[in-house]
Amino acid sequence: MPHLGGLCGSPASIKKAEESKTPAFVQLPEILQPRTFNISSTIAEMSHSFNTNSFNNVSHYSYTVADDRSQLLTWLSPLEPRLRHRDIQERRIDNIGEWLMQTEEFRSWYDWSGEGEGDKAVLFGYGDPGAGKTFIRYRNKDYSWGEKR
Amino acid sequence: MLTCHDVSSLVVDRLCDRARGQNTTVTCFYFDFAARKEQSATAMLGSLLKQIVSGMEAIPEDISRAFQEQKRAIGGREPQLLDIVKMLQTITSSQPTFVCIDALDECVAVHRVKILHSLKQILEKSPGTRIFITGRPHIRAEMERRLGGHVASVSLCPNKEDIIRYLRVRLGEDETPDAMDESLITDILEKIPESVSEMYVGQ
Repeated sequence: MPHLGGLCGSPASIKKAEESKTPAFVQLPEILQPRTFNISSTIAEMSHSFNTNSFNNVSHYSYTVADDRSQLLTWLSPLEPRLRHRDIQERRIDNIGEWLMQTEEFRSWYDWSGEGEGDKAVLFGYGDPGAGKTFIRYRNKDYSWGEKR
Repeated sequence: MLTCHDVSSLVVDRLCDRARGQNTTVTCFYFDFAARKEQSATAMLGSLLKQIVSGMEAIPEDISRAFQEQKRAIGGREPQLLDIVKMLQTITSSQPTFVCIDALDECVAVHRVKILHSLKQILEKSPGTRIFITGRPHIRAEMERRLGGHVASVSLCPNKEDIIRYLRVRLGEDETPDAMDESLITDILEKIPESVSEMYVGQ
């Protein structure tokens, strides 16, 4: 419950600050005191009406709807895999691996009929993520030494 | 060079191209060993749901209700795996969905078990859902066991054209272009792909 601290941890310190300020308030012109009080009560009212609106009357406040929607999405998951997708997409070399889409395995996975006993809903593409790169470097090194094996 | 990540992202893009203008959703997830602590089964499946929901005009009733209800708990309440799976089952039954999961072998084993079990539950309710998974070959047996008879496999080894494309781009980035003449480039483009192909044929 990490939020509890933020909400409930402060009253004691506020109270302490108020006590220490009391003499100063007493000396202020009387007109200032009600104003200070009114501001905090106005904030309390605003925050109350905001909460009421966001729970019951969302459709009247578009900014609240958008806010609520993004809160809901973050609640479903804090992870953002689409950012990672964009990152990889930018670094990718054009057309490499395009042949996969032409394979029999990929086509029959993609062109599903949605029925039938033998239907394979999952396609597993297997490979070693680092092997290609390591191997190319290794070969390049061999080549520059003139020691082709 | 030709990493699983690249293939996954290419598949995601091609599926998106084909899904355009249709009522089809494409979702993706990239596992990363460095982020294994955050990538729990619940957060991963929740992020698939998030991608589907974010493309919808109206948020489905059951999800919206669950979200409002959890607010009543002090400090809120995170969604539970079971809730997420149920929501995914409902939502994928009403619209065709593609799920692309990259590098499943980089997911922590306990979470991988939960994810595969959840995917099986989703497929049972919504058999039209298509799932593409990449990873090292060693998780193949585990996947086949946990997903029942639903799995087909394909090798992602690069072909000769892939290797030539890769080499052309890398040679173009060479920091000492003076040392590279045309005949050397031709020689490299000829010999290296042959050797790589030979290596992969042996696998």
